[in-house]
Amino acid sequence: MGDRILLVEDDDPLGSQIVGHLRGAGFEPMWWREGRLLVAGDLPDVSLVVLDLMLPGTYGLDMLKALRTFSEVPVLILSARNDTLDKVRALKLGADDYMTKPFWPEELVERVRARLRRPTLQKEQVVVEVGPLRIDLQGHTVQVQGRPVELTRVEFELLASLARRPQEAVTRQWLVEHVLDPEREGTERTLDVHVSRLRRKLGPVKCVETVWGVGYRLVPGEDA
Amino acid sequence: MKLRLRLALTAVAVTVPAVFALVQVEHSVRRRTTDEVIIASTMSQMQSGGRERCEAAPETWMVRSRAQRPVWEREGLPDDRGGPPPGVPSPNESRGSGPAMGVPRPGDEGPPRSSRGPLGRRLPPVNLYPFDGQFVSRNPQAPAVDDELRQGVRDDGVGVRRYSKEDGALVQDLLLRMPWDGGPCEYVLARRVEPPGSPEVGLPPLYIWGVPTLILLSAMVVALGPVVQRLRRLTEEVRASSGSRYEQPVTVNGSDEIAELARAFQQARAEIQAQLAHQQAREQTLRDFLANTTHDVMTPLTVLQGHLAAMQQRLRAGEPLESGLMLSAMSEAHYMASLVHNLGAAARLEAGAPQVQHTPVDLNALVSRVLGRHQPIARPRRIALESGVPATPTWVMGDETLLEQAVSNVVLNGIRYGREDGHVAVVLETTRQQSFTLRVIDDGPGISEEERSRILERRFRGNAARTREPQGQGLGLHIVHNVVELHGWKMTLAPSEYGGLEVAFTGPLMSPPG
Repeated sequence: MGDRILLVEDDDPLGSQIVGHLRGAGFEPMWWREGRLLVAGDLPDVSLVVLDLMLPGTYGLDMLKALRTFSEVPVLILSARNDTLDKVRALKLGADDYMTKPFWPEELVERVRARLRRPTLQKEQVVVEVGPLRIDLQGHTVQVQGRPVELTRVEFELLASLARRPQEAVTRQWLVEHVLDPEREGTERTLDVHVSRLRRKLGPVKCVETVWGVGYRLVPGEDA
Repeated sequence: MKLRLRLALTAVAVTVPAVFALVQVEHSVRRRTTDEVIIASTMSQMQSGGRERCEAAPETWMVRSRAQRPVWEREGLPDDRGGPPPGVPSPNESRGSGPAMGVPRPGDEGPPRSSRGPLGRRLPPVNLYPFDGQFVSRNPQAPAVDDELRQGVRDDGVGVRRYSKEDGALVQDLLLRMPWDGGPCEYVLARRVEPPGSPEVGLPPLYIWGVPTLILLSAMVVALGPVVQRLRRLTEEVRASSGSRYEQPVTVNGSDEIAELARAFQQARAEIQAQLAHQQAREQTLRDFLANTTHDVMTPLTVLQGHLAAMQQRLRAGEPLESGLMLSAMSEAHYMASLVHNLGAAARLEAGAPQVQHTPVDLNALVSRVLGRHQPIARPRRIALESGVPATPTWVMGDETLLEQAVSNVVLNGIRYGREDGHVAVVLETTRQQSFTLRVIDDGPGISEEERSRILERRFRGNAARTREPQGQGLGLHIVHNVVELHGWKMTLAPSEYGGLEVAFTGPLMSPPG
């Protein structure tokens, strides 16, 4: 079973929609139809709270304030008002993220996922495994499907830079400034040459993806 | 209460007690003076032979004389001491068998035989009765001496007692210690009886104080007439003015307090008129805004309804749903949401600086939220939404909602006008000079040079900017431009290297909070 998520939402159609989408995304949602001033022990065991700000009973911000006195559970705020002051207040009171209505269900699910994923990303990993790739950032070694691959210094730095932020696009300009040898005249053209060499060495596994308009990204890849 | 009535009542309420108080003061002064005169005349009488006569026949000795009027009451009046007035016994005439008391001489300090009050009335006589050291009189006609008199004569040498008889007459008793000891005439009681109705009792006659008071009152009431009339006219004019939404002025003439009041009302009227005009202008703006907003939202809503109805028809006919129809419906809903957010942003921009918050904003998170918001629309259109941001948060100072709306508008434009299998990318980079560059690149149709400069030059102008232009650069890009200006950022529009449009924002970074 997936993570348990508490939804606090007074609107019936919206509440049941959100519950349906969360369930469809593999979460286990609980739904409260009104805000409650929680004290320690009242909060059920959940991994994340989705909290509507405009609630009958207790105003969402008050509920958040009370919640924050005893719990660090991530809170995602839903608000119909696109008002900066509301957001600033919510974030100050300890909200982790907010969404403005209207939103697409997909967007909400993505946000919930991102919020639940966040803590594991904090750790600085020594060995990054992406698909068939195994990159040892300290030992400066790379293996593809268990087979070691020899890389030049620049090629390794390039791959390591991408491996530190898997699934995220790294801009060309950043790579030019941080990876290429500052002694030599580095351009985006030089970078592209290094990338194509690296891709050739990694063989049939297409792990280094070009991101249109941005740069490159390390993905699990598929066999060609 | 009417002004005139109030004034008259006030005048009466002030005058009557004042008259009474003056009368009381006058009475007490007169009493004291009378006391002094009686004391002086009695003493002189007793010392110039009265003692001998009294001690010779204390049983029958009793003197009946007239007290002298105070000096100011005697002045200028004929002194008829030449002979007793008719019908009144001579003041120095002795009673009973005793010898006659001293014969009056001209210039004598003793009581005159007769004198007249200021209004010609005669003064009542003064009777003298002898008492010995035990306050016992041998004269059977002598009045009783009470403790008050005894106390007074012991303490001050003179005992004074005043009381009214049942018939209204005022009795004045003065008990005097004679300048000798012993004998039946050690003390002498001087008694004066003021008959009822004398001027020393009660108020002076009505014509003395009533007539001036009445004249004063009428003068006041008459003088108040024009004032009251002007006030009435002013009241009418103010009523008429308020009835005409303060368009009708009031007349101001003169320089007194009433004119001042009229002038103050004129000022208030001008103030109210200005406020009314201001409020009307605001209401008009609000009405226009509401009407335009309604129109702007109703159009995509109508399209959406049309799509939904078409889907419903197809479902009923058993036909498969077209994904294009569904996508179009989703786009309209998405556009509406964006439109409403833009209207909110426009309202805040029009309200000006006080509505704008300045807080730390992480542009990385902002880019991620913007992409998350539009991804559900871009994906079915087969437009790839990409982003590249620095590894660490990019902090800037600004209004998060407005900035997000600005970036969102540019991205949404790229999606709405992008071609199928196209791209929109957001690239955020920082420089070593503590500044950032945020670029939104697409490979859509782009916009001409002419159009680009037009967008940057034109200011956000209410309605003109809010129409839904075919190229979709209406409200959206104007808000972007305004937000960028408000934050002191720079914005450039240029053709992108992929053939579309590249919108770039540059601005300063802030040091990370904490």
